[in-house]
Amino acid sequence: MASNSTLVRGGAMPAVAAPAYSTRLPALFNSGLYQSTLGALVSNKTTRMVLLAAVPIVWIVMMHIGPIYQMLKISLLSNYPIQHGRAPTVTFANYAIFFSEPLYFMPLIRSFVYATSATAVTLLVVYPVAYYVAKIVQPDRRSKALLLLLVPFWAGELIRTFSIIMLLANRGALNVFLRDVGMIDRPIPLLYTPFSLGFGLVYLISLYMLLPLYSAIDKIPKHLLDAAADLGAGPFTRFRRIVLPLSRDGIVSGCSLVFLTSIGVFATPMLLGGPTTVLFPETISGFFHGASDKWPVGAAFAMIMLVSALTTAAIFMRIVGGKSTRLM
Amino acid sequence: MPYIIRPLPSWAQSTVLNVTTYDKFLPQEFLDKFQKDSGIKVNVRLTDDQGKQYNLLAAEGANPSTDMVTVAGHRYSQFISSNLLQALDTGKIPNWKNLNPAYQNAPWARVDGKLWGLPILAGYEGLAVNTNYVKDPQSWDVMFDPQFKGLTSYIVSDFMTITMQYLGFDGDFVSYTDKPEEALKATNAARDHLIKHKDMVRKYYDAGSEVQQMFINEDIYLGHAWSGPAAKLIADGHPIKLSVPKEGTYGFCYTLNVVNNAPNAENAYKLLDAILATPDVGASMQRQSGFASTISGVPEVLTDIERAAGTLPQEQVERIVFFSPVNRDMKNEMIDKATAEVKAA
Repeated sequence: MASNSTLVRGGAMPAVAAPAYSTRLPALFNSGLYQSTLGALVSNKTTRMVLLAAVPIVWIVMMHIGPIYQMLKISLLSNYPIQHGRAPTVTFANYAIFFSEPLYFMPLIRSFVYATSATAVTLLVVYPVAYYVAKIVQPDRRSKALLLLLVPFWAGELIRTFSIIMLLANRGALNVFLRDVGMIDRPIPLLYTPFSLGFGLVYLISLYMLLPLYSAIDKIPKHLLDAAADLGAGPFTRFRRIVLPLSRDGIVSGCSLVFLTSIGVFATPMLLGGPTTVLFPETISGFFHGASDKWPVGAAFAMIMLVSALTTAAIFMRIVGGKSTRLM
Repeated sequence: MPYIIRPLPSWAQSTVLNVTTYDKFLPQEFLDKFQKDSGIKVNVRLTDDQGKQYNLLAAEGANPSTDMVTVAGHRYSQFISSNLLQALDTGKIPNWKNLNPAYQNAPWARVDGKLWGLPILAGYEGLAVNTNYVKDPQSWDVMFDPQFKGLTSYIVSDFMTITMQYLGFDGDFVSYTDKPEEALKATNAARDHLIKHKDMVRKYYDAGSEVQQMFINEDIYLGHAWSGPAAKLIADGHPIKLSVPKEGTYGFCYTLNVVNNAPNAENAYKLLDAILATPDVGASMQRQSGFASTISGVPEVLTDIERAAGTLPQEQVERIVFFSPVNRDMKNEMIDKATAEVKAA
């Protein structure tokens, strides 16, 4: 530890006997080249912070903010992809299309309805599971229980979506089972309906609810629940007065993550939805896959969805979570 | 597109060829043999959507990341008018004579008096039915028959043109050049008809594999389908029948095209020549995709079942009209908008 502290302060490494796990590092840290380059940099606190922050900042800018900025730029162009002899001009006309054509409202509203419903159902389904794992399962078995819950999420979104198709199709496992036990003589149309879409959304995004909830419930001190029980509080009162308020941060984080994820999913609604469940991401994709010059309109619609979804989530977090609530 | 995730441009190399095509269009055994014989390494990038392919190629401009693309008939003129393809020099394809004569000088294949691609597979939009539940339909009317409520499927943009034709309009917009009001009236009529009968539809699909899956799972009993995926189901022994109803339908051809400014254009010509070398390649392409090969002698190489899967009675063949290159911009604009309206309704 002493030598590490010395290193952080930028001083010379003490000439101690080389530890068994390394024989070359002290020599490297004492070298003139190191001292005049990296050593000089890390000796300064501000520089050290910049170096540590550089990788995450570059990652966030390149992978998250960069594409959104690019999309914003395209949304303001009159034509894109740019072709020879057709220089684009800057315009807000692509945004105006959304507000001038009522037909585009319905898929956006539908997206919000499905995302909100999926968030509420996911919370109701996952909360007892998270509580069970965090408070009922013995501490030495919790990691195994969590692992079992997380295993399905190691498979990709498409694989899990196709597994739902095989489950709910007319000749899928569920209809075949119901027919074999004599409960039905004709298949129940479960696939390509609002039910299959909702089922798929809840199944595919429940991880985003489970982890924040588990984390929040796990932190609730058990002695608070024991004390409440000693004072005569029943299970429901204990839940309402202690567990629910103390897991509020997990609920807000989980709901926000699930809402923002489910409003933007593309493949699942395409594969599981029916003719009455066309959501806004599919409308947006139509502009990118259609005839030329529609990328700017698609980009404008994507920005409208992004802003409206983030605004909704922010309002929810502020109302339910209060000023101190953070997403993670 | 941010540079970090943009495909790298294709470099001119004597031993490389970059091809963008649909899954199963170029048989692997053919590619293996071509690579071994020619010493050219073929990099295949798969596509699943003409619009996406068009937009990416247009975005790459003078530095394309691919040497060849596969263009479907209804997009043919759009690629050409956007200067994305180079005219084909058949003099560089010694085996050109092996292309079925019907395709060598097909009217739709010539734009501005030039040929722009090698036709490789031909298809049409047909009415596919599960013969266990639907008996020998003669008209597109069956797609709107209440007894099959919730049991049909189609690609909205494709079926829009069929519906226009079914309602007595020109679904290919050829006769609407300089008549946008007439075109809009016809498009809106088809749009309203599809919205009115939306309850007939189980699902709007996008890819051939989706309609195959729905037929196999019996989620649908009938639907509008490209001939390739439907013929593949028939050849695989499923109880599916494909026909061209009395109101007619549209045909199209997939072409392999050399991209404008392609760095490895000479290698592209070598691939085109190799495709035409023997009917075996065409038979393999037909077997895998379900679409009909354009190469002479292919039917003789196919089995009876494979041949039957892609065969129509003569009177139905005569009902197929190939998509025209005329008035595409107006058609794309109106059909795209009407498609969004049907889906949103």
